[in-house]
Amino acid sequence: MSMNDPIARGLAAGWKVTDASTLTSNQTAEADVVVIGTGAGGGTTAEILARQGLAVILVEEGRLYYQKDFKMDELTSYANLYQEGMSRTTADGAIAILQGRCVGGSTTVNWTSSFRTPDETLTYWSRQFGLDSLAPDAMAPWFQGREERHTMAPWQTDPNLNNDILRQGCEKLGYTWQVIPRNVKGCWNSGYCGVGCPTNAKQGALLTTIPGALDNNARMYHGLRAEKLVMNQDRIDHLKASAMGPDGVTPSGVTVTLKARHFVVAASAIGSPGLLLRSQLPDPHQRVGKRSFIHPVNATVARMPANVDPFYGAPQSIYSDQFNFSQGVDGPVGYKLEVPPLHPAMAAGVVPGHGPDQLADLSQLARMQSVIALLRDGFHEQSPGGTVTLRDDGSPVLDYPVTDYLWQGIRQAYLHMAEIQFAAGAEAVRAMHLDSTWYKTWAEAKAAIAELPMKPHRARLFTAHQMGGCSMGSNPEDSVVNGFGEHHHVPNLSIHDASIFPTSIGANPQLSVYALAARNSTRLAQKLTS
Amino acid sequence: MNRRSFLKTGVGGAVFLGTVSLTAGLSGCATAPAGRVSAVDSRMDASYRFRFLSKDDIALFEALLPAMFAGALPEEPNQRQFAVAATIERIDQGIVQFGAPNQKELRKLFDLLNFAPTRVTLARVWSDWPSVTTGEADAFLNRWRNSRIGLFNNGYIALSKIANVAFYGHQNQWHLTGYPGPQEWIVNVLPQFKNT
Repeated sequence: MSMNDPIARGLAAGWKVTDASTLTSNQTAEADVVVIGTGAGGGTTAEILARQGLAVILVEEGRLYYQKDFKMDELTSYANLYQEGMSRTTADGAIAILQGRCVGGSTTVNWTSSFRTPDETLTYWSRQFGLDSLAPDAMAPWFQGREERHTMAPWQTDPNLNNDILRQGCEKLGYTWQVIPRNVKGCWNSGYCGVGCPTNAKQGALLTTIPGALDNNARMYHGLRAEKLVMNQDRIDHLKASAMGPDGVTPSGVTVTLKARHFVVAASAIGSPGLLLRSQLPDPHQRVGKRSFIHPVNATVARMPANVDPFYGAPQSIYSDQFNFSQGVDGPVGYKLEVPPLHPAMAAGVVPGHGPDQLADLSQLARMQSVIALLRDGFHEQSPGGTVTLRDDGSPVLDYPVTDYLWQGIRQAYLHMAEIQFAAGAEAVRAMHLDSTWYKTWAEAKAAIAELPMKPHRARLFTAHQMGGCSMGSNPEDSVVNGFGEHHHVPNLSIHDASIFPTSIGANPQLSVYALAARNSTRLAQKLTS
Repeated sequence: MNRRSFLKTGVGGAVFLGTVSLTAGLSGCATAPAGRVSAVDSRMDASYRFRFLSKDDIALFEALLPAMFAGALPEEPNQRQFAVAATIERIDQGIVQFGAPNQKELRKLFDLLNFAPTRVTLARVWSDWPSVTTGEADAFLNRWRNSRIGLFNNGYIALSKIANVAFYGHQNQWHLTGYPGPQEWIVNVLPQFKNT
């Protein structure tokens, strides 16, 4: 393996990294702080605490994969790098959940879009949840600091055609569009962000904060599942964790006990409430797992007259916020429009069908273009979000009922996406819906989409952004943590991930997670070192 | 149980599937992983060890895949057999990584389809899977796809998704979608592609 790879170099230089599948007997370790999760929140936290001289242990359920493993292959990547081998769904199976499960978490597999939390969202939080200290002006320096740490900047290269069609359609119709900021350094424009960056260009947690923490003596266990936080009196005493076997999913039977002064949970908006529920931590108002948001995503696919090659080039470089806040922050549901990359396994899994029709559709992959709408859920009383609960085996599951309020937005989004694609010259457009055919004109699409049944399973829905479930707020009666991610009832517990968002963000959330985690970890470090 | 009484079970759907799974196991359906299937059974070399799919599940997919991939599978019988068998192996590999909770859900679905009383009443497939024609398999898939019952739609999506990903996602089928694979100029210079 090339020693130009920073992970390979760090491992060779003696980073304290333990693959839990190699452990043959139970063990105990101790640190100042145990950080559970190595994604946007956990990585940031570990680096900031370790740089202040605190002894940090990082715990990751997924495995450590890096450049040597990133071979631009969908099947191995989906199986290894995603939660439940890319098969995770909501409880009723109606919404597919895309979420990372590896060192770096979702930042290892995301499409690099890097947005600040919209001002409208921060202002709404301050008004609704007593989070005045998160006002846009107060957060600006934290966003700026993280933009520098992760090399985030608007994409300078021309967008690929898949993204440019969104731009063209918006131009024709007079809708706004913008260039997406990306967290990349020396990007090769390959298009394979979603299967692990093959060139080490993506500046996710894997290549920034995780090495930063390990360089500062942090210890990391991967392939280790956090099972239970165990209390002694009013404080957490230790974490009980179980090692996964070599396949990464089956427990080997070996357990690891981790003791610390303070515990930071950053295990995602599904994993964090799951861990708190399994641990039966104090939750007098039963808030854990409630108000879970997902930016529900629906999609249309267009067949263009010439090749689009939607599998190549930076996957996301153009977006439109025309419909995101246009009807007010808390009016009818708003949505952000973006573009997904289309590789064959992803396309075959998303386009619902079988037989000759499916072959006919997929054989046009090179000419396909797709637009997705990310619905901004959680800003309206008819969008209370979903609920994370535990299955019999203790694993977390998200139940997310789609309300009529959201269905109205989903139908509107199908319409706007089809309109944009036809304006950009599409030959035909199909909604990703079991009852949609290929529509040949905008007029035909408009009439047909108005009649599509808005029902679970028939409309194909997705989420790549899981948020909430351990909401922050000033009032302990309707939140789990305060505005600094500090648990309302357990003094040595903080939560530093997207689970603390009291609504969805209204934009891809990685920068929101990085910035809040940086702010809250800086405060935590001061407390623990003073 | 006819369709109406199934509907009446309403939210009990999941519980009902659980019961089927138990009954199927007791009544002798093969629910244990098939392990190494002999070369005669799978008609290819038996180096692959199945870790999730049972012999009955394999028979189920051997019946469904010709309908799922009608027009996409090779015509030549040996190649066709190879493509079907290789896809079923990849389905098994994929499911292993799904982890225990979703494996449990799929176990219920496959048992429902393999257990004769539920296969007949819920899937309306009259013969056992090895005797099902491609036309009958296609009709079953369309019934579940077009059903007004969300649980059947969900079953259709689950079956078609795992099969579609395992088939169209693999290099052997990339030519069907016109996907050229990773850019050669990148593959040629990256260290992870050397000496493999």
